[in-house]
Amino acid sequence: MTARFLPTLRRLALPLALLIFAGFPFFANDYLLDVAFFFGIYSLLGLSLNIVLGEVGLYDLGHAGFYAIGAYATAILNTRFGIPVLLLLPVSAIAAGVFAFLVTSPIIHLRGDYLCIVTIGMGEIVRLALINNPLGLTGGPNGVYGIDTPTLGFFAIDSSLAYYILVWVVVGASIIALRRLQRSRIGRAWNCIREDEVAAQATGINVRSHKLLAFVLGAALAGVAGNLYATKLLVVSPESFTFWESCLMFSIVLIGGMGSVPGVIIGAAAISLFPEVFRSFANYRMVIFGVAMILMMMFRPGGLWPRRRGGTEARDLLQRLWRRNA
Amino acid sequence: MKKLVLLASILLSAVALVASAADNGPVLIGLQGPITGAWAYEGQMAKQATEIAAALINQKGGILGGRQIQIVVEDDAGQPQTGALAATKLSGNKAVVAAVSSYGSSITEPASNIYEKKKMVSIAYGATAVRLTERGLKYFFRTCGRDDSQGKFFADFVPQKFGARRIAIMHDNTAFGKGLAENARDALKPMLDSGKVQIVYYDAITPGEKDFRVPLTKMRETQPELWYYTGYYAEAALLVTQAREIGITCTFVGGNAAINDEFVKIAGVAVAKGCYMTNEPLPADLPTPEAAEFLKAYKAKFGDIPSSPWPVYAADAVNIIAYSIDKTGSFDGTVLADFLRNKVNGVPGITGKIGFTDKGDREGVPMFLYVVDDQGNIVLSK
Amino acid sequence: MRVVLEQLINGLTIGSFYGLIALGYSMVYGVLKLINFAHGDFFALGSYIGYTLLVFASAFVTTRVGLWGGLVVTVAVAALCLAVVGVLVERVAYRPIYPAGRLPAVVSALGASIILQNLIMIIWGPRYQAYPAALIPNFKVQLGGLTLTALQILILGISLVLMVVLYFVIQRTTWGAAVRATALDRDTASLMGINFNRVIRFIFTLGPALGALTGVMVGMYYRQISFTMGWNYGLKAFTATILGGIGNIPGAMFGGLILGVLEMFGSAYISTPWKDVFVFLILIIVLILRPNGLFGEKIAEKV
Repeated sequence: MTARFLPTLRRLALPLALLIFAGFPFFANDYLLDVAFFFGIYSLLGLSLNIVLGEVGLYDLGHAGFYAIGAYATAILNTRFGIPVLLLLPVSAIAAGVFAFLVTSPIIHLRGDYLCIVTIGMGEIVRLALINNPLGLTGGPNGVYGIDTPTLGFFAIDSSLAYYILVWVVVGASIIALRRLQRSRIGRAWNCIREDEVAAQATGINVRSHKLLAFVLGAALAGVAGNLYATKLLVVSPESFTFWESCLMFSIVLIGGMGSVPGVIIGAAAISLFPEVFRSFANYRMVIFGVAMILMMMFRPGGLWPRRRGGTEARDLLQRLWRRNA
Repeated sequence: MKKLVLLASILLSAVALVASAADNGPVLIGLQGPITGAWAYEGQMAKQATEIAAALINQKGGILGGRQIQIVVEDDAGQPQTGALAATKLSGNKAVVAAVSSYGSSITEPASNIYEKKKMVSIAYGATAVRLTERGLKYFFRTCGRDDSQGKFFADFVPQKFGARRIAIMHDNTAFGKGLAENARDALKPMLDSGKVQIVYYDAITPGEKDFRVPLTKMRETQPELWYYTGYYAEAALLVTQAREIGITCTFVGGNAAINDEFVKIAGVAVAKGCYMTNEPLPADLPTPEAAEFLKAYKAKFGDIPSSPWPVYAADAVNIIAYSIDKTGSFDGTVLADFLRNKVNGVPGITGKIGFTDKGDREGVPMFLYVVDDQGNIVLSK
Repeated sequence: MRVVLEQLINGLTIGSFYGLIALGYSMVYGVLKLINFAHGDFFALGSYIGYTLLVFASAFVTTRVGLWGGLVVTVAVAALCLAVVGVLVERVAYRPIYPAGRLPAVVSALGASIILQNLIMIIWGPRYQAYPAALIPNFKVQLGGLTLTALQILILGISLVLMVVLYFVIQRTTWGAAVRATALDRDTASLMGINFNRVIRFIFTLGPALGALTGVMVGMYYRQISFTMGWNYGLKAFTATILGGIGNIPGAMFGGLILGVLEMFGSAYISTPWKDVFVFLILIIVLILRPNGLFGEKIAEKV
């Protein structure tokens, strides 16, 4: 029965989402706006890992490392040199991207599972380096504190509502950019590499540079998420960037649907909202979470909103809406 | 499901709001703590302690002419992010007057920023990092001590007591452990400069692991005469056991998170006896009549007294908040903060006389040296 | 020199734990290509079951079979329980997911790990538990200037024996051949008459049982257990498996030993807080130089 309504659901999704986004603040308090903020952060993280894992099919379980680089870049540059945090948003992206380029270049050729363990290692190296405070830069286990709140001209972004709008604007922009990427030559090359690397190479795709590009872009977007996270909490510490976070991101992409942008958003909702919704269950909260993950994979292994093959979804959607009104 | 929760929480907040607006409704005090997660042990004791404190106040007739104190608990799971959400939730709840928050300096820091913005008083009960009160916050206080006073106590008192010249300081690279180690080392500086003592080993182990033989062997080769470990009890128990096995015989002194009943249980009495600890007074050693009353009530309900000092600080935080509300007759955060800072001096509390410095620190937290005796009890030394 | 030997023994002891856990990990991984995150939690559960037996049933057992007999019984019971749990988890959490592919299985394994870990916390509590000191052998032995504890000898000895036995099982017995064949090429193996389901049952009883045994040994050696201990050891086991080479099941054991010694080296001679960074860096360098792991065979990719 769901299958029949699915096309309608899909068509209505975008306008519905926009409506919810605009209307939500009217009946939400600060706590709910903050929860929505973190939902946005996890969406960004999911989208960033989706580039690497969903589009290209590279097993990356160390993505929290790039997230950390972005957050710490913002934190250090802001507290030491006073550079405004919003200006640091592209800087964090670039820092994370450059880092990704440097560390993945030597290992990009590794096969699936070997790449997996190396990415885990990278993530752990970043986290441990942050704790050990090399050159006195990272503040060790205390992290870096005293980050400023973002300002946009005269507007200071320091209310829950303002943060909520900020993060979701960034998410929106990312979604648009990613959808375009998906439909471009690069996106198609990525998907081709995921399906069959040898065939991709045979058709003349430079597999190595496409994989590197995916990592760099994925890292850059994770860096953006790190920047926003730092500006919200006003303090960054290594505990927020553990292997467990990488696992959560991995689950977001899988639960949502690999390579599917709306899927990733739903996956992020599941992962970030679930623990909050089930706060009252205390100890059993995590058991329920684990059970949910297994059930999810059992019944919807393709994800909650799998990527549709072929078709240009948004354009279709808008065209149909237009035709209805015409 | 989400909508149901939303509706329920709106209704509950409305009810609470109406209830407290009514003249006889309960007064809500928030507690933020690690009810789940790595420090669940401490968080759950803090919850119990605050409930006992509230119950005692209510038994005596409550405040503001008969209104009862009620504790609203929010779990921060020992994580900064979850803590930020918990703080937003409590500070957004119009019916909550003030918050007791939290355990763990890296969780308390972002949370206190949120309370500060909402102009809500927050009192930490287990956050000892010095920098927390160096930020110029107006609404943040703490009933517990700071790392520098503990480090200073160690430096001033301990090497002399044992006549030790070669000192090993070991920490676990956490915010607390490293902070205390650094404070101890800084406090030792005058003695270092004059050549009275030497720090032969200063390094960190990785918490969460079990095998420390390798770094311990390293330490053993530096031949320390005194060993100060500033981390938590889980690793401390393993460290001492393994140290004795590989032949380290020097005296072990733990920081205030290193030795408790769990330590004795895990290490076994044979290994634990003779271990020392720098600590604020343990609940059992609190000399005040308020302490006797509190511990009796706590024991009656939960079977034993709290095994660490932090839950008692949480109880004192509840007490001093209730006291302030009663004396000022106000729920306004600014009024309460001003009262706490300037007018609270020598108010009797469970852990002694309560007063706050200008920065919000607890005035005059005493430090003692404890030792594990032959029966495995932790008693005052000397 | 003496210190170097001592540190080496420390490293080897840690390494043998890693190796034994990695073995169970590697079997599942080799055959199913499944990153069994829950394997570390099997190990933790075994440790806890051992704890429960030693604390509550010790008097009952030791009066009949003596102290050492009691330990043997504890290990046997823990291994048995975990064998059952292992098969159960496979049936419930993994088998339905196989058709969906590798990655959903990873998420399912993650879910299974969360469930196990939190169930342990709910059943036994969040506090650390300790193996009773009285029941654990506690004498020391002098060996040419080195002092070794009874437990160290016991553990190194048992681990060595186990590794040799398992090596022979995997390399020389029919069951072992079946496992290796299925790991190499599942379809051809079943064409050769190897019952896939039986192989699955085998690895999911042997692996978790081994994990339980290791768990009891770890419990006796360190005396302290916590519900989070599975996570760390699981990660190390995965690292050891990769280091040894995917598909090379005995290789995982060596991977574990090498990992333990590397950790020791990093901790003792470079810097204790940076030791894990050191280990991962070495791992990355090894993989760059030998992309199939230390002992892995080059597996041709089908076009």
